[in-house]
Amino acid sequence: METVDISTFSLLLAFILLLIPVLLSRFYGLGLIGDLLSSVARMSVQLLLIGVFLKYLFVWNNGLVNLSWLAVMILVAVFSAIRSSAMKPVKVLVPIFVAFSAATFVIVFYLNYFVIKLDDVFDARYLIVLGGMLLGNSLRGNIVGIDHFYRSIRKDTKKYLYVLSLGATHHEALLTYLRESVRLALKPTIAAMATMGIVSLPGMMTGVILGGTSPEVAIKYQIMIMIGIAASTTISVVLTIIMTLPVCFTKYGTLKNDIFVSGSI
Amino acid sequence: MIKFDNVDLAYNGKKVFAGLSLEIKEGEKVAISGRSGIGKSSLFSLILGFTEPAKGKVLFNGICVDEKTAWNVRKQISFIDQDVSVGVNKVSEWISFVAGLKSNSAIDFGEKKVKELMSFFELDHSFFNKNISDLSGGERQRIAIILSALLGRKIFLLDEVTSALDKHLKKKAADFFIGKKEWTVLIISHDSVWVENTPVKVFDLEAGKWKQ
Repeated sequence: METVDISTFSLLLAFILLLIPVLLSRFYGLGLIGDLLSSVARMSVQLLLIGVFLKYLFVWNNGLVNLSWLAVMILVAVFSAIRSSAMKPVKVLVPIFVAFSAATFVIVFYLNYFVIKLDDVFDARYLIVLGGMLLGNSLRGNIVGIDHFYRSIRKDTKKYLYVLSLGATHHEALLTYLRESVRLALKPTIAAMATMGIVSLPGMMTGVILGGTSPEVAIKYQIMIMIGIAASTTISVVLTIIMTLPVCFTKYGTLKNDIFVSGSI
Repeated sequence: MIKFDNVDLAYNGKKVFAGLSLEIKEGEKVAISGRSGIGKSSLFSLILGFTEPAKGKVLFNGICVDEKTAWNVRKQISFIDQDVSVGVNKVSEWISFVAGLKSNSAIDFGEKKVKELMSFFELDHSFFNKNISDLSGGERQRIAIILSALLGRKIFLLDEVTSALDKHLKKKAADFFIGKKEWTVLIISHDSVWVENTPVKVFDLEAGKWKQ
């Protein structure tokens, strides 16, 4: 069963639905019209370009190109993560890039090789699509995790130094903050898994079903990707924190002052 | 025991003090005086390696406090701040947290010792199970004092540790620290009870010299 194509004219009909939020925004004075329309325009252009790009990428299906594209996606995700946190990009770019890359590549290759059992683990349809889903979802968790970790140590400076003065090793002094941050980062994924299928039909499953695959197969893919997201989020948060420690702390174990964007904390 | 050798301290390029030289010998009880913002608490930060001097050296038992030695220096000092916490809920968890640190594994946190100190500082056993957030400032300060004594260290850096205690308990706490001959105690406090004790020497940080 093929997915029913949407003609350009039909897609324009979907845009008519935008009249609803626009009119309501006007009526209630929400002030959202500008943001809404510019976001819709951005999304449409971005997806149009990526659609064309992916079409050629899937046709070409060269392992090295696919890997390079995934690396570009990781880099964009890293910039997005840093911009949303209070950290200075120049300080944390490299460690966060390494952490994201490790988390994404390890999980996507594991899924492709051991779970889906692909002959070509670099196949664009799997490498890029699954990698993108892992990245997109671990990104949110990562931002929450790293931001909470450094913000709470800064906020609790007195408490943190008191623990160091008690004779704690650096690891012992940081453990409470690491635990809290990873917990917080994983919370949305854990909550989403607990209600999946009842409260919402997840994106991947919907996509696979619309693609013509039976719901039984779609469910298996969804279960696999959710477990992958939980694992990659955990790896990326823990690795990001561990890898940023040497650049964010002095050798005395105190937090450096110059790692935050001024005025952000 | 603790020596500041021509130390300059600055925060974000702004000078706090310069050319500080001060030596504290084993067993001495020293109160640091000076107006607010002169850098009294920074002296403790320098000893513990939480702050680096812009110039000069801080020596602990003849060893320069630097990024390598600071970790070991901290294990020999009991530091109490005005309002300490370790981010746990109950008093018993606070004690377990401190006792659970690797560097404290050889220390006896026995119930008998804890109870003795609690009774000395007029806290009954029910405090073990109390939530830290339910304690008054004075009760929290007494728990911090008890914990610092349990660590068995002989050097104490006390920063306003009696500020929330009543007059009777302030005196008791001051006598407790000053009465131990082998303990070296550095005090920052607005409470006169510390300097009323004859063995306490006063160092005027503003003038950079001992008060007569």
